[in-house]
Amino acid sequence: MMFGACAREKEVAELLRRGHWPHACSAELRAHVAACYACSDLVLVTQRFRSARADAAGVARLEAPGLLWWRAQIRRRNAAIERIGKPILDAQIFALAVTLLATAGLVISQARHGLRWMSWFDELPRSLHLATLWPATLTSFDGRFWLLVPVLATLALVSGVVVYLASEKR
Amino acid sequence: MPWESVIPNLLAGEARPLACPPMDSEAFTAFYERSARSLWAYLARVSGDAALADDLMQESYVRFLCAAHPDDGEVASRRYLFCIATNLLRDHWRRPRSASIEEIPEEFFATPGDSAQSDSKAMLGPAMRLLRPRDRQLLWLAYAEGYSHREIAEVTGLASASIRLLLFRARRKIGRLLREQSNDDGGQP
Repeated sequence: MMFGACAREKEVAELLRRGHWPHACSAELRAHVAACYACSDLVLVTQRFRSARADAAGVARLEAPGLLWWRAQIRRRNAAIERIGKPILDAQIFALAVTLLATAGLVISQARHGLRWMSWFDELPRSLHLATLWPATLTSFDGRFWLLVPVLATLALVSGVVVYLASEKR
Repeated sequence: MPWESVIPNLLAGEARPLACPPMDSEAFTAFYERSARSLWAYLARVSGDAALADDLMQESYVRFLCAAHPDDGEVASRRYLFCIATNLLRDHWRRPRSASIEEIPEEFFATPGDSAQSDSKAMLGPAMRLLRPRDRQLLWLAYAEGYSHREIAEVTGLASASIRLLLFRARRKIGRLLREQSNDDGGQP
């Protein structure tokens, strides 16, 4: 028996591919295959694998193609939505970063000047003439304006949440 | 502009280079009918796990439909599908597992009452289990699917020049195993 690669392997492979092996080939080639290790390996392996393929294909459990089609459509749509959302999220992160930086810069610069801007809050009710709108008991209270700040902040926060929830539902 | 109108525009226009709609539903159904059995056979016989083959086959088709695939005929599409399946198999093998696929018995596939199928599995299954996963892939693609070395290189991602040698070694090994098995059974090689 011959060992190693054989020059006639291509010929045998072609016969196997066409389905001509073993009946539609010469007796000389059959004798060669019987004596050649590489060619007999080729014949044995090819026949076994083709047989195994036919058997396995016969017992394949196939999913409905329509289901796979729709699953792919949903995945493509989700990918598109994600692509849309990513720049928006990036822009929001950028805006937040800029805001934080600007706030930090403002606070640092004002801190260097002794926080004089705090006096602006005390002047604000007078400049807006809030005394005419506010109850006298409240305006007479010392440090009264500091009550107004958390109230306004809470109001703004609640408004934002309400608007957000309303737009989400829509 | 409402989101509902933006998304279809994106799907139709901007997203097209990334994932062009490969086939309509009817074309896909026809392609699926022609290719699914051979893909399942490949996945089941190479992985040694029918349930895994079910999962990976579905995932392969979904990814095939989502991706921009070669638009030069069914042969190329089929090859691309096998490429996706091969990558999924590789990912599966790379993941840490509590049990190795080598430990799954070949009898898992047995279909009672079909002696021809049982014979074929009994003859090839034990030999396949003794091979490395890559060798199983190469052998199946070459001898069950009839792919050329260049096509196998495209599917597996291996260098085309190395396919010939790897395939030769794998074939010699499985040939020896099949002969030993036949001798043990007292049957014909």
